[in-house]
Amino acid sequence: MDRVRSRRGVRETYDRIATHFARTRAYAWDDVTDFIEGIEGHLGLDVGCGNGRHAGPLAERTDRVLGVDVSREVLNEARRRAIEGDYTDSFSLLQADAADLPLGADSIDVALSIATIHHLPDRDTRIESLDELARVLAPGGRALLSVWSVTHDRFDRSEGFDTVIDWTLPDDETVPRYYHIYDPTEFGRDLAESALAVDRTYTSHGNCFGEVSVPG
Amino acid sequence: MNESLLEIVCCPLDKHDLDLEVIQRTDEEIAEGRLVCTECGEEYPIEDGIPNLLPPDMRDG
Repeated sequence: MDRVRSRRGVRETYDRIATHFARTRAYAWDDVTDFIEGIEGHLGLDVGCGNGRHAGPLAERTDRVLGVDVSREVLNEARRRAIEGDYTDSFSLLQADAADLPLGADSIDVALSIATIHHLPDRDTRIESLDELARVLAPGGRALLSVWSVTHDRFDRSEGFDTVIDWTLPDDETVPRYYHIYDPTEFGRDLAESALAVDRTYTSHGNCFGEVSVPG
Repeated sequence: MNESLLEIVCCPLDKHDLDLEVIQRTDEEIAEGRLVCTECGEEYPIEDGIPNLLPPDMRDG
């Protein structure tokens, strides 16, 4: 599990499953589109953008979206989707780590971190990622975060835990993916420990969500 | 990578500005090149239009 449970391991996993993963991630989540509908700004950021399912809707509300992902293969899928959706002019791709964002401070008006930090290997790194989001968010900027949660039907535990969940490719080959599955109390505690200001937390469809900003 | 992105990106390690070294360009898009940290000198490759700004210890195999 050590290799799987590392930031490099997550990159390798998504490089391997990228094409199949992208085919199964066609639609944006309602919780994300609801959040995006209420905001606008110059520069948007999607940390762990995957195939870009949320970058398209975000590009409609901002002048430019930065799509950040650790996996190069997944970014190639995001670029393909942007070409099909005709928003390449307002979409920039960056291969980068969620806990070491290569972006200047106070630069981002709207950010998403959807189903991303639960892949980071330990609590310190997850909080580093939250702190990085706080650093790059401009005053008045807002972000929506989500993580997978014990409230999902497939889990029968009430406290957060580390696990490996296999991704099954079309040829039945399996690729392990590391997750930290959060309980809602723990999610609130990690947000509170970070440099972010928490506007609201809630659970929906087996995920914990947090609407956050920077302390003003 | 669009050249205007230079105003937004920085070194993931020390957050200092990056210099652009172009190897291949089409209009404002940089297809191949390097981003070099003005402080620590670390080099980040741009390949097929996408900059790789992973910390060096996460970059390779």
